[in-house]
Amino acid sequence: MITEPHIPDPDGFYAAWVGAHEGLTEAQSADFNARLVLLLANQCGDQAVLLACIAAASDSGDPSLPSPQESA
Amino acid sequence: MGARTVSIAVEDYRFAPAYELPSWPFVAPPELGSERVVRHPIVIVGAGPAGLTLACDLARRGVRALLLDEDDTVGVRGASSRGICYAQKSLEIFARLGIYERVAQKGITWSFGRTFSDRQEVYNFNLQTDSVSVQPPFINLQQFYIEWFLVERILELGLTELRWKNRVTQVTPLADGVRVEVDTPAGRYTIDADHLVDASGANSPIRTQLGIDAHPSRSTDRWCISDVRFKKPLPTERWTWVDAPFNEGRAVWQHLMGDGVWRIDYQMPEDCDTAHISKAEVAGARLRAQLGPGVEFEFVWIGPYGYRDHLLDDFRHGRILFIGDSAHVVSPFGARGGNSGIQDAANLGWKLALVAQGQAGDALLDTYDAERRPAAVENLRVTSRSARFLAPRTPAEHTLRRAVVALASRHAFARALVNTGRMSVANDYPAAPHLPEGARTVQNLPLRHLDGTPTTLMELLAEGTHCLGLWFAPDRAQAGAAADIAASLPLRLVAVGGDSALPTLQPDPRLARHFGEPPKGSLLVVRPDAYRAALLKDPTPASISAAVRTALAHR
Repeated sequence: MITEPHIPDPDGFYAAWVGAHEGLTEAQSADFNARLVLLLANQCGDQAVLLACIAAASDSGDPSLPSPQESA
Repeated sequence: MGARTVSIAVEDYRFAPAYELPSWPFVAPPELGSERVVRHPIVIVGAGPAGLTLACDLARRGVRALLLDEDDTVGVRGASSRGICYAQKSLEIFARLGIYERVAQKGITWSFGRTFSDRQEVYNFNLQTDSVSVQPPFINLQQFYIEWFLVERILELGLTELRWKNRVTQVTPLADGVRVEVDTPAGRYTIDADHLVDASGANSPIRTQLGIDAHPSRSTDRWCISDVRFKKPLPTERWTWVDAPFNEGRAVWQHLMGDGVWRIDYQMPEDCDTAHISKAEVAGARLRAQLGPGVEFEFVWIGPYGYRDHLLDDFRHGRILFIGDSAHVVSPFGARGGNSGIQDAANLGWKLALVAQGQAGDALLDTYDAERRPAAVENLRVTSRSARFLAPRTPAEHTLRRAVVALASRHAFARALVNTGRMSVANDYPAAPHLPEGARTVQNLPLRHLDGTPTTLMELLAEGTHCLGLWFAPDRAQAGAAADIAASLPLRLVAVGGDSALPTLQPDPRLARHFGEPPKGSLLVVRPDAYRAALLKDPTPASISAAVRTALAHR
């Protein structure tokens, strides 16, 4: 899993990401993000990296919240 | 739901006449009223697909067994729901046992599946693509026909004592066997068994009585089965809907079985009233919405079901072996229940046969657990993933599934994530002391002897109980030197091409490809259950003997 900067134009990516959510309801935003994750996952195409990303994303950074484990 | 019921109340739904299933007579066993406890080498409890396959497999190998069943017919509760899809490996086993032709004639051969979301196809597969077997990827047939054909074949082979209306009430493990108490309409009796095989199904009373924990878990997902006959011509493909417009956005399965009967499964709300959803008028309304107006149909069976799973920690407890549903139960997605029971039986059959005939030791029976338990673990993992895709547990899971389905209709990559069941496969077996390379199935390849007469791999394995040593282009001296070794082991040497005195098959590119292009002179050890055990690149009498002895768990 790459954690060093790898996105060529971070501000441009963030602006596009936020922009895509404009005008969406909360449910539509959730749907959008889920589709985006799938499309990005297929770009990555490396199972170990995908699982490492899921593990990293599961850590919210908030020590008061549980860090969910991967289940069956 | 109520409004819909009212709107269709005018239609009258018919049931087809009930199937007339065979029954076999209870015959008072000779042990009744005798004080002497008779000892039987192999006792099988339960005449379902697993128990019957095992009895038939043993009989085909010339081994006697006693099969006890509490009922006197096939099927459960008449011609009800149960397994319908028989996978290639099971069909190859049926070919070896001698019932495949009947299954193929009565059943529906298929290899193509389609998955829909709403009205759109989002995924399809063709299982024929990777097949080199004489048998097709799948045949659909009502389970009671499979049982019926197996019973008739067992009676024809004449080595199994089938005792109907014989209910096992108590089993007691002994130091060198198992004591079995049996109740019959004519009274009780007691026998001893060298080995007892529990094939008594998901609710195994033997398992319960022995206090063996199966680690059960029950799903809240609810389904309604409709077995139905209608005239509308539909392709003989496996069609599944993730969210069908004619089932209030829930999943539907549609499959053709024998006698022109369609199995249609409808996913129901978790909190549904199971009696209500299986009423003819309610099931009829669903079917009417699916088929459209003007299609005549008649029901064969309607019934609700929920599914569950369980898995024993050990499939062998001393002299007691657990096969089929008594050992493991998975959700129905992918037809991994009945097929794995049949394959358990075929895995155990040759091992029990060699042990009973004194050609292998007790350690060979441990390999049944070492192979079939990992297979069950894999089947549980695969089916649990399908079940979770089909019944999302939270709004968030619904969101994720919606993303998959939405992308699948536009992008090929997402189709692989649409999971309405991954069809049963012949599981690989992990590497173990008796299987240094692990083992994987060998398909039933069509072959030709050197003189042109056709044969198949299953035919080469059908008589007796032996491993097959497929020797690729051996030379005469090499093969001659190994002849004595082969005679002293359960091993049959067959050459593929070359110039030797061995029985010889014509070289065949499909055969070579299926085995990964084995080099000239190499020898492949295929087990009696058509699993590849070892490839010897440079076979010598000593290495052939060692490979076979290893596969038979000789110590």
